[in-house]
Amino acid sequence: MKSIYIGVDVGSVSTNVVAIDKDVNVLFKTYIRTNGQPIDSVKEGIRQLKESLGDVEVLGVGTTGSGRQLAGAILGADVIKNEITAHATATIHFVPNVRTIFEIGGQDSKIIIIKDQMVVDFAMNTVCAAGTGSFLDHQAERLKIPIEQFGDLALSAKNSVRIAGRCTVFAESDMIAKQQFGFSKAEIIRGLCDALVRNYLNNVGRGKNLEPPFVFQGGVAANKGIKAAFERELKSEIIVPEHFNVMGAIGSAILAKDYVEKNKVKTNFRGFDAADIEFTTSSFECKGCSNRCEVVKVSMEGKVIAMWGDRCGKWTNSL
Amino acid sequence: MKVSFPYMGSAIVYKKLFEFLEHEVIMPPKPTQRTMDLGVKYSPEFACIPLKMVMGTYLEAIEKGAKVLVTSGGHGPCRAGFYGDTHRNILKSLGYDDVELIIFDAPQDNWKAFWRNVQKIRNGVPWPKVINRMYTLYRFVQKLDELEKMVQKIRPYEINKGQTTQVWNEIQEKFDKIKTRKELYKVYEECKNMLLSIPTKEVDERDKIKVGIVGEIYVVMESSINFGIEEILGNLGVEVERSLYLFEWINDNLVPWALRPKRFKEIIKKGQRYIKILIGGHAVETVGHIIDFKERGFDGIVHLMPFACLPELVTQSLIPKISKEVDIPILSLPIDEQTGKANMLTRIEAFVDLLRNRKKGKTNEVLINNLQQHADEERVVMV
Repeated sequence: MKSIYIGVDVGSVSTNVVAIDKDVNVLFKTYIRTNGQPIDSVKEGIRQLKESLGDVEVLGVGTTGSGRQLAGAILGADVIKNEITAHATATIHFVPNVRTIFEIGGQDSKIIIIKDQMVVDFAMNTVCAAGTGSFLDHQAERLKIPIEQFGDLALSAKNSVRIAGRCTVFAESDMIAKQQFGFSKAEIIRGLCDALVRNYLNNVGRGKNLEPPFVFQGGVAANKGIKAAFERELKSEIIVPEHFNVMGAIGSAILAKDYVEKNKVKTNFRGFDAADIEFTTSSFECKGCSNRCEVVKVSMEGKVIAMWGDRCGKWTNSL
Repeated sequence: MKVSFPYMGSAIVYKKLFEFLEHEVIMPPKPTQRTMDLGVKYSPEFACIPLKMVMGTYLEAIEKGAKVLVTSGGHGPCRAGFYGDTHRNILKSLGYDDVELIIFDAPQDNWKAFWRNVQKIRNGVPWPKVINRMYTLYRFVQKLDELEKMVQKIRPYEINKGQTTQVWNEIQEKFDKIKTRKELYKVYEECKNMLLSIPTKEVDERDKIKVGIVGEIYVVMESSINFGIEEILGNLGVEVERSLYLFEWINDNLVPWALRPKRFKEIIKKGQRYIKILIGGHAVETVGHIIDFKERGFDGIVHLMPFACLPELVTQSLIPKISKEVDIPILSLPIDEQTGKANMLTRIEAFVDLLRNRKKGKTNEVLINNLQQHADEERVVMV
């Protein structure tokens, strides 16, 4: 029977589940649309993992992403970590000399600066989400091009059209204007890729010293057009790792593995039955003091298994 | 007069002020989602979050019966200087003609106007009494700030989650009841002992992480708008200190220039290494404090800025340079209407990871040690 470590990354757009062995070989990976249903997508991921690998012994579980807390509660995670740390952990494993990580996901885009295998700086898009996967998705839909062909189409263009960067509303109206001028879809898409990269490096990477080797990951790294735009802009090779779209999940699996190994503890994993258990989330406003915290409550078949959101710990500690 | 004021930080201090001047005080409620909704609804869209939250607070205070609203004005080119008048106009357009807004601008800008306001607020209380009580209030603020600084140093090491915050709430309630100076000193000692008796875990001095919080005054001081950042950091095992405490603000701004403490001048001087002229808001102070925190051995800086706040944007654009030259990691967080915490927590948590790693060296092993140390807490804290 194989021994595995599970990593789960619950993002706004996708939920990724991976299984690695003790040498960090990726035995299984899946990429599921979250569709606003993180509980269902986590269950689905676990079900697929079980189906694919058959009988396995789970030694540790890590969760990350904006839904890490919820996924952690459902699965009984050993490690619940932020996605910046998780992404960096995975990248350092696969590309040990990495200096700069570009990570573009559904809602967030990040730049992580590494030195001597250590995160020394990072940045995330602030306030608006211009230049992320969701925006590309939306534009692909508007132009009636399957998102999978987006990158190839961009590469086929001979010229680029200048598209306003700044925010997505600006970019979109500029794109529409350029369409009316008669530019081809391919040219416009290439222009969009350039604008996105320009915008990303200007805003997220503002003032950062970007040193190669560059690694590009996250769902958007599948887009060859964006990769090419990065290469044009930085005049340098961009590495897209093999598991580019599940790096966060791999990172959290590595963190869980290291944690379990180092502390010689048994995993908290609830077992694969978790996929069939009914979980519900509800929230209430605590009236205990003037903070009026919104407390989130996760129940497993009617029994409360996790609560959070209260600043004082009154509810969290009541379990 | 039924007096109220904007809620910011330890609002009991302002309440005390007006109680001492024998006004009927309408305590504004601590800002909530409703305050924000009201503020956003009745404020210009382009304005920054402090204007909106204060607007909401005014409307809630008026609902509770306030007839006079007292606030501090702006100083220098920051648009906060317009905010008093903007609020006044909005209130007028909403039909609150009977509500008076008294704005205290920096006295050195216009002594006459300042004096007129003082006379209004003095409420006919004889001067000797006023002076005596203001001195009591001055000490009141000082003692309360001292206790809050203790809270920020104890919280990261508490054994029972949330206990420090609970004690801090009790302390504020106790302070709220204080009437005289004698009582103040007695209650202060009591509260100090309450804090000292909180069980804490031993942490090696070398493993302690200290973060300085800098930025625009409202978002730095008011926890309801900054996601309770001091508590978040505290719960992650980090000691915090703000660049702004009421006591120091009073010393820096309300005590005439000649008497200003040396420390304030030093901070300004440090800030002027990067921003030569006054650009309003707290930009120069923010930079000065970043350098000061570094010199005092802090590990990192969290820089809070209202979205679109020009002085803080200038600071933010200088941050890569400062961070490099002074060698301290700085995390800038823009603050606006949004209530989604996940994104903010990700940044803060990653930032704390970064600081710990920096302090100890290698990534993964350190991380795992931290995880062990904080595993339980994080499950509690991270949403």
